[in-house]
Amino acid sequence: MIKGGKSLVSSPPVFSNDAKKLLVCTGCTVSIFSTSTSLQITELEGHTALVTSVVVVPAFTPSSKILCYCWTSSLDGTVRYWDFSLPELMKTVDIRLPIFSMVIPGILSQLAETDGKTPNLFAYLSVENTKIQDDQPKVHRKILKCNLTKSRLAAGVILAETQQPELITISSSGKFFGVRNKRKLHVWEVIAHDHEGAPIKKITLHHTKNLTVFAFHPTERIVAAGDVTGRILIWRSFGRRTFSMGDGLMNGRAMNNEDERPGVRGDDDADSCATWHWHSAEVKVLSFSSDGAYLFSGGKEGVLVFWQLDTGKKKFLPRIGSPLLYFATSLDPSLSSVSCSDNRIHLLKMPSMEILKSISGIKLPCSFPEIYEGLHSRFIFDQTAGLVAFRTENYCIQFYSLFDDRENFEVQICERNHQPSDDVTVVVTLMVLSPDGSMMSTAETKFPEEGLGGLVCLKFWTSGSQSKGFILSTIIYEPHRDAGISAIAFHPTRHMAVSSSYGGDFKIWACSHEIQQRDQTLQNSGWTCHAVGSYKRKPMTAATFSADGSVLAIAAETVITIWDPEKNVLVAVIGETLEPITMLSFIGKSEYLVSASRGSKSQLSLWSLSKLSESWSYKLQAEAVACVMDGSYFAVLTLLPRSSKHTELTETKIDGRDGAILLFNVGEPIPVTTWFVKKAKGGGLAFIHVNSASFKGNVSDGKLPPALLAYINGNHEYVLFNPYNLEAHEPSMVVREKPVGIEDETGKFGYASIYGALPEFDAKRNQTELAPLLPSEKPWETIFCGSSHNLPPITKLCSAFLESLLEKRTPVISD
Amino acid sequence: MGPSNIRDLLTTFSPSLDFFAISSGDGRIKIWDTLKGQVQTEFADIISTDTTNLYSKPERGHLSVDYTCLKWLSLDSKKKRKLRCSLLVLGTGSGDVLALDVSAGELKWRIGDCHPGGVSAISCSTDGSCIYAAGADGMISKIDSSAGNLLGKFRASTKAISSMSVSSDGKVLATAAAQLKILNSSDHKKIQKFSGHPGAVRCMIFTDDGEYILSSAIGERYIAVWRIDGSKKQSASCVLAMEHPAVFLDSRCIDNGDTDKSGLYVLAISEIGVCYFWYAKNMEDLRNTKPTKVSVSLEDNFSKNHKGSLPTIFAAKLQGVVKPASGDVFVAYGSLVKPSFQKVIVHSGTDIKINISQDGILLPMDQSHKSKKGLGVKDGVTALDRANAEEALLPIPKIFDFHEKNKRYQNSNIDPDEIMADDLMNVRSQNKAVESKDGLESVEASNETSCLEEQLRSLGLLDNKDDLTSNSMLNSRKFKGISLEENMPPKKMRAAVSSIIPGDAYELLKVLVTMWQSRSCSGNYVLPWIYTILVNHSQHIVSQEPVTQLLDSLHQSTKSRGTAVQSLLQLSGGLQLVMAQIDKASQNISQIQHGHQVDESEDEEEEVEDVLYGEEDDESQISSDNDD
Repeated sequence: MIKGGKSLVSSPPVFSNDAKKLLVCTGCTVSIFSTSTSLQITELEGHTALVTSVVVVPAFTPSSKILCYCWTSSLDGTVRYWDFSLPELMKTVDIRLPIFSMVIPGILSQLAETDGKTPNLFAYLSVENTKIQDDQPKVHRKILKCNLTKSRLAAGVILAETQQPELITISSSGKFFGVRNKRKLHVWEVIAHDHEGAPIKKITLHHTKNLTVFAFHPTERIVAAGDVTGRILIWRSFGRRTFSMGDGLMNGRAMNNEDERPGVRGDDDADSCATWHWHSAEVKVLSFSSDGAYLFSGGKEGVLVFWQLDTGKKKFLPRIGSPLLYFATSLDPSLSSVSCSDNRIHLLKMPSMEILKSISGIKLPCSFPEIYEGLHSRFIFDQTAGLVAFRTENYCIQFYSLFDDRENFEVQICERNHQPSDDVTVVVTLMVLSPDGSMMSTAETKFPEEGLGGLVCLKFWTSGSQSKGFILSTIIYEPHRDAGISAIAFHPTRHMAVSSSYGGDFKIWACSHEIQQRDQTLQNSGWTCHAVGSYKRKPMTAATFSADGSVLAIAAETVITIWDPEKNVLVAVIGETLEPITMLSFIGKSEYLVSASRGSKSQLSLWSLSKLSESWSYKLQAEAVACVMDGSYFAVLTLLPRSSKHTELTETKIDGRDGAILLFNVGEPIPVTTWFVKKAKGGGLAFIHVNSASFKGNVSDGKLPPALLAYINGNHEYVLFNPYNLEAHEPSMVVREKPVGIEDETGKFGYASIYGALPEFDAKRNQTELAPLLPSEKPWETIFCGSSHNLPPITKLCSAFLESLLEKRTPVISD
Repeated sequence: MGPSNIRDLLTTFSPSLDFFAISSGDGRIKIWDTLKGQVQTEFADIISTDTTNLYSKPERGHLSVDYTCLKWLSLDSKKKRKLRCSLLVLGTGSGDVLALDVSAGELKWRIGDCHPGGVSAISCSTDGSCIYAAGADGMISKIDSSAGNLLGKFRASTKAISSMSVSSDGKVLATAAAQLKILNSSDHKKIQKFSGHPGAVRCMIFTDDGEYILSSAIGERYIAVWRIDGSKKQSASCVLAMEHPAVFLDSRCIDNGDTDKSGLYVLAISEIGVCYFWYAKNMEDLRNTKPTKVSVSLEDNFSKNHKGSLPTIFAAKLQGVVKPASGDVFVAYGSLVKPSFQKVIVHSGTDIKINISQDGILLPMDQSHKSKKGLGVKDGVTALDRANAEEALLPIPKIFDFHEKNKRYQNSNIDPDEIMADDLMNVRSQNKAVESKDGLESVEASNETSCLEEQLRSLGLLDNKDDLTSNSMLNSRKFKGISLEENMPPKKMRAAVSSIIPGDAYELLKVLVTMWQSRSCSGNYVLPWIYTILVNHSQHIVSQEPVTQLLDSLHQSTKSRGTAVQSLLQLSGGLQLVMAQIDKASQNISQIQHGHQVDESEDEEEEVEDVLYGEEDDESQISSDNDD
């Protein structure tokens, strides 16, 4: 099993004391990268849920700088203590509440401590209380105090309650920490000798806009905060009245004159508040340099701004290319890092502001206008090379190697500069890779501006030299007049492709390999239209070629039309589904065709081409369908239905898993295996061929599986596992279950709707104690649905129908 | 960078082949990411890196080190993840052995003055637990790879050792000085002795199974294969000839149960950067095997008198065996400034030329790609606009299918009219504006789309019963009870027509009229139907708005044909006479029937006359007249 595709930017990264390592939260683990090579050195494994924060125990003497200890907190409700040089888990503190953020002020200010008895170490946690019943509409997110030494929560200490889980920010001296709460900023002072019941003083600073981020000055009492409109507020000498004066930092103007507080709102405890405005959108990054002379800010523009704190002068690091998320400084003044939303961490050389190295991961999912969220468009897989490709925000397609967990290359699809803050005007709607991975086709839609200038483009690409990248070969403007393209499919062996449109026609394109290379340019391999077809002017919604390429199946809304692609001859029509079909696929070399439709009556159907009829269908919302190239298996990723009956019974079992992968054999309507998965929405599924070279020593038994199933979830995390090995150890992302009744009981047609599930199927259902089969409310609505040959003989049908009527009436009578 | 320089190169792939280390004699080691083809990191001036000063950055090395050998090994003993700690072990000309932790970018350990006079070879077994280093002093030292402790040192030769290798299981050592010696690695006892090479051996490896040693020396244009069997035999068991001396060797020996793939696979790179590949079932065959060559060729736009060197293959690794007699070879080629990496499948017997392009050497990868694409739009890319896409499609399907359709019409007996009607209907609805004069054309144009469906029906695959919903199909279903070609008694016809709901009847009428006008169906069959519909559904038809147009066109065509009726009748009468004269014995039955039918229809007409309004009356009269 291979896992990968982790997000590097879920939480702020932290430098080690010697600034040679960077600790990055990557899902359930903490990955440690070398700052000199930007390669991963090691990994802290142990948490069972997302790691939310890392706190490195700082060193105060040069000799202790090589010490590598850190605390981590996670959504699994534990705080763990590690030696990350080995790496080794030292201690676990179980809080039993999901922790969103953690700060430990105690370790930052141990300068004055003598070597005697170590005092209790306290952490402040931002948690979510999950055990509150629904009848209490209270806020469940709290800031709590935790005694790490004794591994318990400080009783009764609730510092604040917030609407959203908030990130706790701490000053580098460990004296202050705070959270933002909408338009307010709560700041607490940590007293020198903390104990469990110690009173904690708090001040609140107000602003008129929602605050997004804030930072404490390392030495002075200055706090800087950014808001959603892009303003940066600097409060100077906050908390002078409330907090203790013993530190003597601000003994200058002791006079507390109300008039001399420019910019400070109401009764806020600060001397002055200045506002800087450069960012046009919300400020996401705010950090002081370690000497306190500069303030760094960044946001959606992808520009890092350096403010000179005294003068307000600016310097810029532009063209980072992606919205900034976090900024981390190290104890080495010449090294810092900035995290971007395209899952990259850039290491910056500080005074000159140049990017030394980049640590990059899989590109994170980006939002596209909802109407362009096709089923086929999210992920494409190169099954032989083990690549996954998907759209990125900057009009590129990233090709990511699943086996190596690294980016292979990127292909820029549109000639358009990407500015993170620009409006989206072009969307790559579709992308398809030919089965051998040598050709790619993409479709893009340019949005009309004020109703003018919308354009649909179809592009064909051929793979470049050394199979790195793709080169544009043909561009077709408005291939189906004004209509949008619904699907593209490549012929498995020949240079042929089909594109179907919502405008009611499909076109078969062929790559002409003319050998007129002497007079023309070299290898003029342009694609031209080979044939056009339509079926009753119905919108064509999906298209696919069979494994040998002799049959072309195109869905015309609810029916499937079968064509001979060479001669452009319609061979057969198979009908029909309740909703338009959005996905079609042949299952390997078999005669079966699987279709998926979406909508209120989403449906997954298997069609037999020899009988020209439907074999079976489930009422399932299929997110993705994957078929083995040479086999009879296919896998379907579905979203679990959100019926209340189900959730109550299976909540504990499924625990946050909202999808299921069903592995079917074409012969049988009962899935061979079922895995429950998390974040299935927007996920993808594919069978990946394994060759010995790419699947290095990861095979334990020495035998290679024919194909691995790759599941990539909505957050672009992926896992590759062997679907056939039933004894396999369980991937944590994927939980296998016995074949159970995922199949919604209301979704059966014909036979199943009347007689219920098949007997053996029932037995398994009972074993696993899932929701019993409840008779649906109106069986006659589904009884007669489906093709006539699926229906049982009228004699049986009649009695069942009448019985169902009787059943319906009994409760009415009893009422 | 010249071809001669390959000799001095130190290259190694990481065990998992995702990184490639190269040192070209300037004391720097570059680590390339083989996946992206970009420099991952660079080691320069490792020795002067001061570990006590935490924040000091290694300066760009002016104190370059003379590296003599390079080996990448992975430590995977405990942990599952082997990629994480991989060591790059280096030997220097001054006799030091260094180990670099590649991912951390740090010097892991260092043994100073291990072999005075210089380290000549480093080798380790596949598990990587301990490293053997050999030097010019004739000693071999055993080093613990994880910590860098010197575990032992022994004298293997009185002369300087030029090359040394360890078998994959770590049990047998081979040293090359003047002689080739095979030693047991645990007790350092000599197992076997070979005559060896006259010069210094540049590379020497064990095969996987440890049965053979392959070696090649500087200046010798062959690879010698030595068999380790403990015998006294001193000569090589096989010699593989090359055109240039070899600088690199790799082999794979598969002799397990998989009989197809079993055999010996040998890979070598010559000094001029050509990769040689031998395959044989066994050692006897290997002797007579001709090598398969993999070489790099330039794209033709690159001028030969370019100042830079010719691109070469400078590193390769036999990755695995996919099929019998062919191997997966991972090669690094191109220029040393910007190597390219590729997996090549080499089939024994077919030489391979790798094309190389010169772009991206001075520019970063991405930029060159973009600029190229910008150019590509101008010359290389085919662009089709809206009209182009439409033009390209038309010729092929139309002509081809039209002819086929005609043929099919003549000899198919699966009522094609029904399909025709169906499709004509579609066409009709699209081209409402098309007048009757254009009608013929439009019908022809439509035939090319319609015949697709028709052909499928002829194949017997399309069954109308399957798709019940679609609107136009509904109409075609309305034909169900009606087969036009049949001779139906008018009463049945009327019953069938009256059972049709008025809306559909109107649609049917339109279809029939088009059919008749286009002569796609004999008027003999169509006209009775038109007549019946007009009679039975006159009310509804009149209420339809565009019906006047329809009826007008019907009227016109009937009139035009009606004028011809008289002369036709005369002709047919004449013919009849001739026929009767020729064949007195048998009269043509069909003629009689024909006449009979006309009579009948006339009867009907009279019957109905009072029901009809004037216009329809007119029409029906003409149409029925026309029937003759």
